[in-house]
Amino acid sequence: MFVLLAVSAIVFYLCRGFPSGIAPWTPYIHSKMTEEQIQEVIKTHGFDRPLWEQYFYWLRDILNGDWGLTGAWAQGKPANEVFFHHFPYTVELAVFGTILTIIIGIPLGIISAIKNNKLPDHVSRVIALAGYSTPSYWFGFVLQLIFFYYFSVWGLPYLPSSGASDLGSANLTGIPILDGLLTGNFAYSWDEFCHLILPSFSLSFISLGFLARIVRASMLEVLRQDYITMARSKGLKERVVIYRHALKNALIPAVTLTGIFFANLLGGAMITEYVFSWPGVGQQALRAVFQGDSNFLLVYSLVFAVIIVLANLVVDVLYAFLDPRIKY
Amino acid sequence: MQTQTVKTRKGEWEARLADIKYTLYLMKKNPLVMTGTIIALFFIILAFLANFIVDPKLAYPEGYPNNMYPFERKYMWNANHFINWGPGIALYNGPEFFYLGTDGWGRDLLKMIILAIPVDLYNAAIIVIGAVIFGTLLGAIAGYIGGIFDELILRITDVFFAFPGLVLALVFAAMFGRTLDTLRLAVMLVWWPPYVRLMRGQVLSEKQKPYVEALKALGASGPRILLRHVIPNAIYPILVQATMDFGGAILTFSALMFLGFSPSPALPELGNLCADGYGHIFDAPWVILFPGLTMLIISLAFNLVGDGLRDVLDPRLRR
Repeated sequence: MFVLLAVSAIVFYLCRGFPSGIAPWTPYIHSKMTEEQIQEVIKTHGFDRPLWEQYFYWLRDILNGDWGLTGAWAQGKPANEVFFHHFPYTVELAVFGTILTIIIGIPLGIISAIKNNKLPDHVSRVIALAGYSTPSYWFGFVLQLIFFYYFSVWGLPYLPSSGASDLGSANLTGIPILDGLLTGNFAYSWDEFCHLILPSFSLSFISLGFLARIVRASMLEVLRQDYITMARSKGLKERVVIYRHALKNALIPAVTLTGIFFANLLGGAMITEYVFSWPGVGQQALRAVFQGDSNFLLVYSLVFAVIIVLANLVVDVLYAFLDPRIKY
Repeated sequence: MQTQTVKTRKGEWEARLADIKYTLYLMKKNPLVMTGTIIALFFIILAFLANFIVDPKLAYPEGYPNNMYPFERKYMWNANHFINWGPGIALYNGPEFFYLGTDGWGRDLLKMIILAIPVDLYNAAIIVIGAVIFGTLLGAIAGYIGGIFDELILRITDVFFAFPGLVLALVFAAMFGRTLDTLRLAVMLVWWPPYVRLMRGQVLSEKQKPYVEALKALGASGPRILLRHVIPNAIYPILVQATMDFGGAILTFSALMFLGFSPSPALPELGNLCADGYGHIFDAPWVILFPGLTMLIISLAFNLVGDGLRDVLDPRLRR
């Protein structure tokens, strides 16, 4: 609760407190407005009151479900409408990015733990480190260049470079790939899936390194324990020892990391969404930043803070569930 | 009494020196760390020499910002170059040879990358050093004093952890204007909280050890114990983290530049050079490819060093 209040207060001050001299109502007006109209805009948004008073009015409105209007960049729609229109796309991207991270990162970590300090370990270490040394926007462009441009130049089947699928119009859950499946529009789902591959791979490449390193470290830790020696001395096969006995305990730290990582992706991978023109919340937030649109930014950072706090809670509970030794 | 102090201090330095020597010895045995170190040193030396190798006036010709650039050769690739990018590329047939093509201002991209390296390294260094000093001191004090103060600082770092990725830095940069100082401060703002947590944890475990109790019994003051004894003993994980964060700081700083917070569009900075190629990814891919690759190599080198350092300094794997 304290975290949420503080986050909103900081964003509120930065957006509306004139630290820069940019008037906070700039995004909500346009050049054709008369002086009276501008005054009216200022009044409806409450910009004429002192800052702390604005903050309390804003808190009251937020609790009443009125989250303010966006600026001209989103045609002045209510901020929550804009947010929840784009949020499903972000969820979709985040889920796919996380799945890819898990299915590549965990095996990579296991391999480098088993072959510790041998060639496979070095290779996976370089992959992991390259993952988090890569500028995300640059990697997105490289993927687009190869899999879209050069594949089409060479006459190979190529992947779409940017945006989400525009084949479907069904709006049940708002998540395109799920809508397509539910309404039987499989072409739409498939197209959306193709659109998802590059951005989610670009996202997961950056984070799978972290996951692989964590899995490796905890695997090494577990393999050193007595019960593993015991399992080996019983004459179990190495494969059984690793996958049945060691892996379960070694994965516990990976759960935390994946949870936090997923929550971060839900906040919108701004840069990846920007590079791939993916219509998620991150890209909208970026536009809002450039327009100085405080209403949308406040909604965005508040929802995200809630997600982070919840994710931490879920991870803690999951931790206790996975490891009975931990008690709260 | 006087000689006694001098003697112990000398002994302490000898011990620390021997420790560092042993660390260096362990690092030499690891090929990846050696590769990382050599590459990182290469770029650091290049950064110091950059303004002597390449005339900085090439980035901002005399009379900037008036039309002083050779715009007629923007986004061009040498016709007789050994790399062929495929169709749709503007080819240059003039007398000069550009190893990495030209950028959107008609400048030699290779020279711009060389000029950009000191800018990036300098800014990343300021960001990391600032964040480390601030975060470490705050974390150490929080861990050492404990109580309400500790709780307060932890809650404040929680707030900063709950911000969506770059949003805080972006809003900060957007509101306080587009200067290099603001950008550095913006990145620092999101960079310090992990150090607080790391240092706090270190100090908490260090505080329990008998030597701290012995120092207290000898009558050493709180700041003295903290600054002279606890922090030096707890600093290694911070140094590892800082080395690895150095690459991250370059990436984040240049990401801000890439998103359009650059103080000047002509500034030779790796992210800014990439931004120049944003709309020309298919007709001039080199403009975005090579600055990004440079960034990747620098960042990878520092990460290799940091990763190796972590293994080397891990007390469980040591001796």
